[in-house]
Parts: sequence; C-alpha cells; structure tokens
Amino acid sequence: MKLITKLLAFIVVNIIFFVSVALAIPPIQTLTLNNGARAYLIQTNVLPIIDIEVTIDAGARYDPPNKTGLAELTASLLSLGVQSGQKMISEAAIADEIADLGASLSVMASGERATMRIRSLSRADLRQRIVELGATILAHPRFEAKIVEREKQRLIASLLEAETKPEYILERRFKKAVFRSYPLGSSATAQSIAQIQVSDLKQFHQLFYRGDRITVNLVGDIDRQEATQIAQALLLQLAATGPAINPLPKLTESPIEPASTRETQITFDTQQTHIAMGMTAIPRNDPDYFPLLVGNYVLGGGGFVSRLMNEVREKRGLAYSVSSYFIPGKNIGIFQAGLQTRNDQASLALGVMRETIARFINEGPSATDLVAAKANLSNGYPLRIDSNRKLLDNLSSITWNNLPLDTLDTWTKKIEAVTVEQVSQAFQKHLAMNRMQTVVVGASVASPK
Amino acid sequence: MRYPYLKSCLIGILFLLSNYSVGQVRPSPADTHEFTLANGLRLIVREDHRAPTVAHMVWYRAGSMDETNGRTGVAHVLEHMMFKGTDEVKTGEFSRLVAAVGGRENAFTSLDYTAYFQQVEQSKLATVMQLEADRMSNLRFDDAEFKKEMQVIMEERRLRTEDNASAIMNETLMATAFMSSPYRHPVIGWMNDLENMQAVDARNWYENWYAPNNAIVVISGDVDPAKVRVLAEQYYGPSKTKTLPVRKPQVEPVQIGIKNVIVQAPADAPQITMAWKVPHLEPSAPDQIEPYALEVLGGVLDGYDNARLSRALVKQQRLVDGIDVSYNLISRGPQLFQIGATVAKGKTIAQTQAGIRQVLQEVMTQGVTEAELKRIKVRILANQIYKRDSIFGQAMEIGSAEIAGFSWRDLDLILERIQNVTSAQVQAVAKRYLIDAGLTIAVLEPQLRKKQISGTAAPVKTHLGEMVKSQ
Repeated sequence: MKLITKLLAFIVVNIIFFVSVALAIPPIQTLTLNNGARAYLIQTNVLPIIDIEVTIDAGARYDPPNKTGLAELTASLLSLGVQSGQKMISEAAIADEIADLGASLSVMASGERATMRIRSLSRADLRQRIVELGATILAHPRFEAKIVEREKQRLIASLLEAETKPEYILERRFKKAVFRSYPLGSSATAQSIAQIQVSDLKQFHQLFYRGDRITVNLVGDIDRQEATQIAQALLLQLAATGPAINPLPKLTESPIEPASTRETQITFDTQQTHIAMGMTAIPRNDPDYFPLLVGNYVLGGGGFVSRLMNEVREKRGLAYSVSSYFIPGKNIGIFQAGLQTRNDQASLALGVMRETIARFINEGPSATDLVAAKANLSNGYPLRIDSNRKLLDNLSSITWNNLPLDTLDTWTKKIEAVTVEQVSQAFQKHLAMNRMQTVVVGASVASPK
Repeated sequence: MRYPYLKSCLIGILFLLSNYSVGQVRPSPADTHEFTLANGLRLIVREDHRAPTVAHMVWYRAGSMDETNGRTGVAHVLEHMMFKGTDEVKTGEFSRLVAAVGGRENAFTSLDYTAYFQQVEQSKLATVMQLEADRMSNLRFDDAEFKKEMQVIMEERRLRTEDNASAIMNETLMATAFMSSPYRHPVIGWMNDLENMQAVDARNWYENWYAPNNAIVVISGDVDPAKVRVLAEQYYGPSKTKTLPVRKPQVEPVQIGIKNVIVQAPADAPQITMAWKVPHLEPSAPDQIEPYALEVLGGVLDGYDNARLSRALVKQQRLVDGIDVSYNLISRGPQLFQIGATVAKGKTIAQTQAGIRQVLQEVMTQGVTEAELKRIKVRILANQIYKRDSIFGQAMEIGSAEIAGFSWRDLDLILERIQNVTSAQVQAVAKRYLIDAGLTIAVLEPQLRKKQISGTAAPVKTHLGEMVKSQ
C-alpha cells in the first residue's frame, strides 16, 4: 500500500506539473541556397558527427502504372556506380570509399519520397569527401545494364519470398483496399519490376531528382556557414528545375459500403491469421492531428496501456501484438489497426478489435484516459529529441510536411491543449465503422483445435 | 573536458584515419562509475548530459541457457509475468505508472540473460527505479493471470517462429549444432514445453534467479552518479541476497564430423547456413587473440557493401541474392561463426556452398589485404563514436559486456586488441576453425504454401457485437 500510494502521489504531482520540464531545443535554422532547393540545420556540438538527409520528392507515388517499383529501384541503384563525363566510379570503389571514411551512405525510396542519408564524422576533410561522393551519386548514377539486371533479379526474388509470408500478403492487400486507384494502392510485383528498363530509370532520375524537388536537412557539429556549403555542394551537379510533372490524383475518402464488400479474406495455410483494418484519414498538417494523436494513444498507440492491448491481449490473451495508428503523409493519410492470432480465434479477436474501435469512435476517451495520454506524451517528449538521429527525423518530418519551424517548441503545448470533445469530434469526423476496410489472411478454420 | 572518453576515442580514430597507426592506449573513461551494494547488486552509471533523459536497465544473469529440459522458455515466460503485479502494485499498474511519467519500457530475454528497461526524462528516474526494485523481490501473480499470459506467449511463438521459415531453420540449426549445451534450445522455448508450463515453474525460476547478487543495474544519461547511488541504496538496498543455484558447465563436447540438416518449410528461395564451432572471448583470458581475429574475419567477409562474400557471390558470380555473417565476440555460451545465404534463381545449394568455400579458401591461403584490415578497423572505431548518439545504446553495450562476465572497462581494451589483429592471425583462425569437423550445415528446402486449405473455412464474422464478454 505504501509504495503505490507514494507512487500515485508522485505521479499526480508530475501530471500537474508536466509543463515544468524546461527543455532547451536547438533552433531550426533556415539556410539560403542558390539553386532552388531548401535546406535546414539543427546545430548540435555534443558529438563530433554530422547527419545529413537529402529528401527528394521522388517516391513510389510517382511510379508509372505498369512499372510499380520504379522509384524504389531508381533510389537503390544510385550508389551502385556513377559516371560523370570522363570520371567513372565503380560500385566497388564507392563502397570502399564510404568504408574508408568511416561513414555511412544509403539511398532509398518510400511511398512519398526518396531519401539519401549520410552519417559522417564532422572533421572537415572527412565530411568533404563523403559530401563530394554523395553529390556525384545524386547527379550522375550510371545505371549500368548489368547491375540494373542484377538488382532487378534481387528485388524480384525478395518479392517472391515476401509472397510466401502472411504479413506481406496482408499489407499489400490492405494498401489496395484503402488507397484503391491512388498510386500507393499498387505494390511492386515480379511482373512490374521485369517491365522496368534502363531508360525508365534514367528518365525517372532526370525528371524527379532536381533542385526544386529537394530539401536538405542537416543535424550535427557544423555551423550555419559550413552547413550551407555542404548543402550547396550536394546539389551542385543537379539541375535546379525541369519540366512540369503531372499532379497526383486526389485520394478520396474510403466510401460507405456494405460489410460484405468492405472485407477481404485470403486463405493461407499459416498457424496464425493476420488481420488489418482501416481507412483513409488525415495528412500531417491537418488541424486535427493532435486530437487524433492523443486519442489514438488511448485507443491503440499507447503500448501496454492502450484499450486495444487491454481488450485483446491483457484481458483475453488473444494476441501478442495489437495496435492502431494514423499514418499521416504530406497530402494524404490513413488509419490502420491490426493483430495476429491463432486461426481458430480469428473471428473472436476481430470482433473484439472492431467493438473496441467502434466504441471509441462513438464514446471517445474518458477524462481519466485523456489525462493519462497527455501525461505520457508530454512527459515523454524529451525522449523524442534526445539524439542527433531523432532530431534529424523530426527535422525531416517538419520540412517535408511544411510544418511551422517552431513545431518542436510548441509540441507539448499542443498536446496539453487537446480536450475530450476535440478527440471525440475528430474521431467521428475522420473515422467511421461503415467505411473501414478489413483484410484477413490465414486459415480461419471453424473448429478449435 | 565534459566528454573525456569521447575525446580520447576521437583522437584515436582520427589518428587512425590519418595515418592508420594502431594501438594507442586510452585512459579509462572518467564518466562511468561503478558501485556494489551490500546485498551484492552491481550498479554502473554512465554519465552523459547531452539531453535530459535517462535509461534505466536491470540485467539478470538468467537466460534460456540456465533452463532445464522440459521447462525451456521459462526465462522468457517470467519476463512476461514480471509485468503482472507485486504485493503492492496490481496487474497492469506497472506499465500504467511508467506511462504516466512519460516512460518507454520493455524487456527482453536472450540465451544469456533477461533484461528490463525504462527510458524517462531524468527527473523521473526515482519512480521507475522504485517500481523496478519492487518487482525484483515482491513479484506476485495468480494462476489465472499466468494461464492467460501463456496464451499470449504461444501467440508470440507462432508469430516469430511457427509461420517463419527462416526462424525454423535457425532453431533447427542450433538444435543440431549443439548436443549438450543449453544453447540448443530456443529462447522462446519449444511449443510443447510452453503447453505444459505451470505457474510454479515460473515462480521457481523467479525464486531461484531474481536476486540482487544476480543482477546488474545499468543507468546511462543525464544523472549525477552520487545521487544515483543514494537512490539505488534506498530502493535496491533492501532486496535480500540469495544463494543462487549451482550452474553446471554443460560444456559442449568437441564436434568430430560434419552435421547436415534439412528443413522443409514454406518459402520461395532455398537458403543455406554454414556454422562452425569457434571460440569466443573468455573473461578469464581477454588476451587470447583468436576471438579478435574471428571478429575481423567477419568484417572482411561481410563488414561493408563491397566485402568479400557479397562482392564475389552476389555481384560477380550471381550465386546468391543475399549473404551475411554472424559471430558474437562476447557471450556466456559457445559460439558459432555463421555464414547464411539465400540462393539465387537457377543456382543450387551445392554451387552456393562451393562458392562460400572458395571465398574462405582464399583467406586461408592468402590472408587478407592491409586495405581490408584498415577499413574494418576504421569502421569499428567510427561506430564507437556514432553509438554515443544513443543513450540507450550505451547502457545496452555496458550491460551485455557485464552480463557475460566482462567489465565495462574491457570494452576499450577489446577495441584496441581488434586494432592489433594481423592478416596472418585472420588467416590462422580461418584455417584452424572453418573446417568440416566443426561444421553444421542447415538447408532450407522451400515448400509451396497451400493457399487453399482443405475443410470448411469459417467466414470471419463481420457484424459488431461479436465480442465475447469473458471477464
């Protein structure tokens, strides 16, 4: 009794004073470049390292209809050989140089964007070499036919392997159900990758990798002037602009449909059934972002203390992992919840998940729930920014989503301002059970074992 | 200087980068502090004031290697039960209290240990330490709670292992390579042992191993070591010392011939893992050179994008689509040097195996180049600086060294010794250990997953109100 009383008293004090945690957040500095790109710096001098992210608006959402996977393949081939005039650097020489510098450099594409990330020691001669290499990689990928063919084979192999895994089948089908005709509804397949030619890669690179589609984010032990030089150097060899690009289609809200057409079942002989449900939701810059973030903490985002975890795992032992989350992008966003359970209890687990989500949309959080959610998010805020890598992730999100540059400074205030009513209204406005798509993958047999 | 350890590390790497000299001696880091409480609990504090956060970890020297037959998985089961309440904290309260102070928490079990952690803003350290110390001595859960949690754990096994061909292959490999060592059992336990696990098994495990003299508390972050010590005395101090069970050595007999095992499971591409019995670093003999040479061998074979295995087999010969090496320098139990590969379309397991052997043969006959050695050493030292970016990562590193019987002070010495490894030493360990007598080969033969199962598939109910009120 003593311990718990003392702890509760302590925690109440903490909740009341959660604003008292004074946290010095290093400011975001806007850099001025001369080729149309944007660049930002968070200077931190604690460690002698720098982290750089070059964000290119060249994600999978720009994949041509029959060549899904083009953006991903383009990004992954960037560092596998460059040719600039007479100068050629092989993929082996690039890898050796990165290793010799004690640096890391990787390029990848996700649904929305491509990113090149560099981590280096901040010593001037070392960072200059890796920046120079990064600049050449961005501007002059070689797309050598033999290497393109090899990487296509490897990507196809990994897709065929993924098709034997229930979690991948689920994710692919769920994307299709929620994004429908929007480009992100398609997933790369062995066929779509096989269609991609060297000329497609070159065209895609030339069209999308250019100054006016790029943001450079820098965090670490460099000052404003050094950061500006790095950003300029990275983009020096790229065109500042280029031809207009067709606008993306609009993602329309998941429609109201009868239950039978909102549910997809895929029979798959696994021990567990994997379930996902969700619908379209908000982009990151939506005014309802904070009420939904706080609300979803209560519903399915708050780790061991969420309602979904409590109903599905803690009370009934139905699943190891169950959660819900909003995935807010630049212009669009979705809501997704999911779990995995033994085949014979799939129906029960899905019912519990549905009922929990439906009740939350209908009734919203209790006042106690809201206090607990806000306490966690506010008190835990320092954990979101306590390393250069996390600062870079935040900076990247702010600049990609065009959020105000004081987003980090106002974050806890915005959390604290959220009310029960705002959460309820936001959930009712953006989510509805008769719009939710459900995908079930597994061997849901009738009789228990 | 605020970061003496870091500065010395930096000087080391820059020296290395500029002229590739090796072997400089660094002073002991002044920002790490070590205390032992009267009850035997060891406390290690790493001061790092870069941000106002702290990582609090408790490591118990009780992993799956300490389990006995028929009760495999019990270390991990207890890890789950540790969230189920004490005399004074109700089921589920632990997580709610940590969440209320903004904490992130979890726990993990390995072959060697079970560890629990919380990450919080620095002023909340006392709260989480009080909770963690409470469950070191006062755990209490009822049988119903245990039964329910066993269902969750079996779901975890289904998720991680039963439906995952690579995981089954790895489990089979370990069970084949080791005959006597408890490393032959999976950390999560065999399904049949889980089905037959009793609450008393978990309680006995707790009674046996959860004691201050079998625990190491590691704290990293924005803290004052003297104050942390006072807090630790206050919360962990009252915990009673126990006499720990005798740990039998269970030394694995020397392998005297190649072992082959085939796993048939749903997958698309064949996989092969070749695993050789090799030494790991012993706390009693930190000067032995072979483990360091094996670490460098791993780096030369797979330490960067253009390392030997990937260059030869993925890029040049197109035998495989992916290949990687795993070896742990530091562990409590016996180690394997593993090379695992996914076979490319149109190629065979036999060709892949021959390709791997050829790459190894080159090392055995010609050694490695100076350029490769330098590259691996630079990478290791650069990582020493990068890892300082994570407060949690630092606590992890200290804890895993300590739990294997090393001191956090050894971490720097280990790095220095890796720097001193020569081509001849790498060649020597390859020749001595990567031989058939100590080799186990596991092969995954892909099976089609039946998309349509026989029998009647029950439709999953779609309407609301399906939820069973079981409470």
